[in-house]
Amino acid sequence: MADKENKAISRRRILRGLGVGAGVTLAGCSGNGDGGDGGDGGDGGDGGDGGGSDGGDGGGTPTPTEAMMGGDDGGDGSSDAEILHWDAGLPSDEQELDQTITTLKEYFNERTGSQVQVTDFTYEDLRSGYLTGARSGDPDSAEGVLSHLTEYAKAGLIEPITEEAQNLEWFDGYVDSTIDAMRYDGEIYALPYTGNGRAFVYRIDIFDDLGLEVPETADEFLEVGRTIKAETDVTPFHNCTKDGGVRAFQEWMSHVYQHTDNLYVQEGDGWTVNIDAETLGLIFDKFYYEVWASDNPIANPDQLGTGWQVNDPEYINGNVAMIECGPWIRNWTSGPEISDSDAATDILDNKTGIAQLPYAEGGDFGTYLEVKPVMVNSNSDDKDLAFDMVATRCAPEVMNSMSDIDPGGNITPVHDDVESTLENENWQSFTEVFRNGRALAKIAWGPVRQEFYPAMQNVAYGEKDPYTAGEDLHSRLTDLESDL
Amino acid sequence: MATETGRSRVGRYGEEFRELFSETWLGYALILPATILLAAIIVYPTLRGIQLAFFEASLLNPNQQTFVGLEHFGTMLSDSVFRTALWQTVLLTSVAVTIQYFLGLSLAVVLKEKVPGISFFRSISMVSWVLPIIVMVILFRFLVQVGFGPVNVIFGQLGLPTKYWFGDPDMAFPMIVLMHVWRNVPFYAIALMASMNSIPETQYEAAQLDGAGPLQRFRHVTLPQISYVSMIMIVLHVIFTFNNFDIVYLSTGGGPLGNTEVLATYVYKTAFETYALGYAASMGVVMLVIMLVFTTVYVKLEDTG
Repeated sequence: MADKENKAISRRRILRGLGVGAGVTLAGCSGNGDGGDGGDGGDGGDGGDGGGSDGGDGGGTPTPTEAMMGGDDGGDGSSDAEILHWDAGLPSDEQELDQTITTLKEYFNERTGSQVQVTDFTYEDLRSGYLTGARSGDPDSAEGVLSHLTEYAKAGLIEPITEEAQNLEWFDGYVDSTIDAMRYDGEIYALPYTGNGRAFVYRIDIFDDLGLEVPETADEFLEVGRTIKAETDVTPFHNCTKDGGVRAFQEWMSHVYQHTDNLYVQEGDGWTVNIDAETLGLIFDKFYYEVWASDNPIANPDQLGTGWQVNDPEYINGNVAMIECGPWIRNWTSGPEISDSDAATDILDNKTGIAQLPYAEGGDFGTYLEVKPVMVNSNSDDKDLAFDMVATRCAPEVMNSMSDIDPGGNITPVHDDVESTLENENWQSFTEVFRNGRALAKIAWGPVRQEFYPAMQNVAYGEKDPYTAGEDLHSRLTDLESDL
Repeated sequence: MATETGRSRVGRYGEEFRELFSETWLGYALILPATILLAAIIVYPTLRGIQLAFFEASLLNPNQQTFVGLEHFGTMLSDSVFRTALWQTVLLTSVAVTIQYFLGLSLAVVLKEKVPGISFFRSISMVSWVLPIIVMVILFRFLVQVGFGPVNVIFGQLGLPTKYWFGDPDMAFPMIVLMHVWRNVPFYAIALMASMNSIPETQYEAAQLDGAGPLQRFRHVTLPQISYVSMIMIVLHVIFTFNNFDIVYLSTGGGPLGNTEVLATYVYKTAFETYALGYAASMGVVMLVIMLVFTTVYVKLEDTG
């Protein structure tokens, strides 16, 4: 009997086993399990800049810390809302966020007599949430970046709105290139509300002191950089080299657009790489190898692997003389990253010049066009009301109202009836840069980005010859043609 | 004989379950809703993930699936990024959990001492554990930024070389380990301290009377009695670290040069960047199997030890 009892599987052991099993399963499911992490957000944020409010890799926010914490941003708490709108382009400042949401709700109510719930997201969370959950019908409408539009359209998750858009009384006022960016397979899938182009941002005072001309070509740019390095204590240049950083991808694409209208072009039913391997190598050589890994680099190699978190504040703090950037840094004069607010204001107000990005041999002026779309969920229960929300978000009247709350979004307006918030003469060239920008081709960009990062880092870290990297990347991009 | 043993074992299980069942109807009724909820949010996704591992499916068209059998698992064998990520995951887990345990144990011994101010120290020691991961990563990233990061500012003033350590191929991985350790050591310490506090003081007094010194008391009284809590802590943290995504993704994105790529980040990139849901799910299954094997073997060893 005693023996039997010893051998018996005790109740305590069974329960313990069940408890451990459940604990392990829960721990495995939680992924980190270290307590709430407040969501990811962060650097992989897809795209973004423009409105200076995203916290994604586009940079563009005076308070990236706040914006990057946006995994659990919540919403406006409307319980009687008839539709749900997700948005990652809202201001990160809490007061500005409240004002913006209130403005959107008021305009929507005025337009439709209905209520909308606006939920604030980071781009990364919005994208993954939308791709995995939009089939349920929520949200009814969503803001995003251009690469999202393509992905959602390919997945059948957004509704074409060509007719509805063209019927809007203000439709003709949108800048042509921004509306073209909203097209997929000939149909308009979204309306734009903000946009910008990447420009060459440089220190006028340093250029004047050294008698330098603004460079047009890559060779001139490198020469200017080396002069600054020899004559001053300021780091001549910085660009983003972080693995997975969308800003790094956007900067590289800006240089690709100096050699071709698009990285891929549609041929028949498929897509074909529209740039040769040598040009890819040339871009790597002039803007990554010479900049970071050559015998005389013009960037600080100790800053390799960094993203916008270093790029933008280092310029604003006066530690870097030239960067590639959008207009979102215009008002970034405070926050933990800014070491001296007055000095930052002086640099941005009086010592900053804007020009077209320099191009490598065989190229011309060109840059990455960032336009942010607002889309209708094709699974929404009320697509008409969802379109009304899109129209509200992208109405010139609303955009003008937003200028008072968050001036960063309308530095280069996407509509003729919206007044630019850009007053400083030195920054006016952004308008020209914006109008020369080229939008992303309508392909699924994820696989392309994944091929770009290791290729770029291998060059920037001096692990691979730039032209070999160009050939390898070209080969990988060609392999992707059938998957895009 | 073997058959009889098997039958009797089955019988014993049956008997135990019958007893449990007959005695605790109300208990089962009370936990039923929670069980159903757990099944819905854990069991279904897990089974769906396992099923997906045998299909070709795109994130953009998840309903269009093609059965590919074990093809994804074959692909993994020739996928150099997967192999690197697996090795780095195992390395990160082993190093981080080992350091965490020994530092946590040391801290627990210190916290257990009744010295002035220790309760305040106990309270603040949990700060790193309760801090959201995103805040911790931003904090570390900020600390080591070149130019304005406090660590590099101090290094610069001391004439030492400054560097963005998350961007340095040699330093990025140790930085990831450091963040794991910094975050989790207090949790180990508090759990182990609680376990130590449950050991009757009389056992230490008896050991002392028998002539045992502090080290012997620790070896023969403390360690055996905290082994169960230690096992739970180690199992949980091996799983947490092995599956951890956010610390790596937010700090380095898997770079530089892939030096911090771990399975969790590679799975995420595969699913959300290259849209290969099936392949990502198959890697998830491999992770699940590795963790199940580890947990089973470790718990078994601990039970027999």
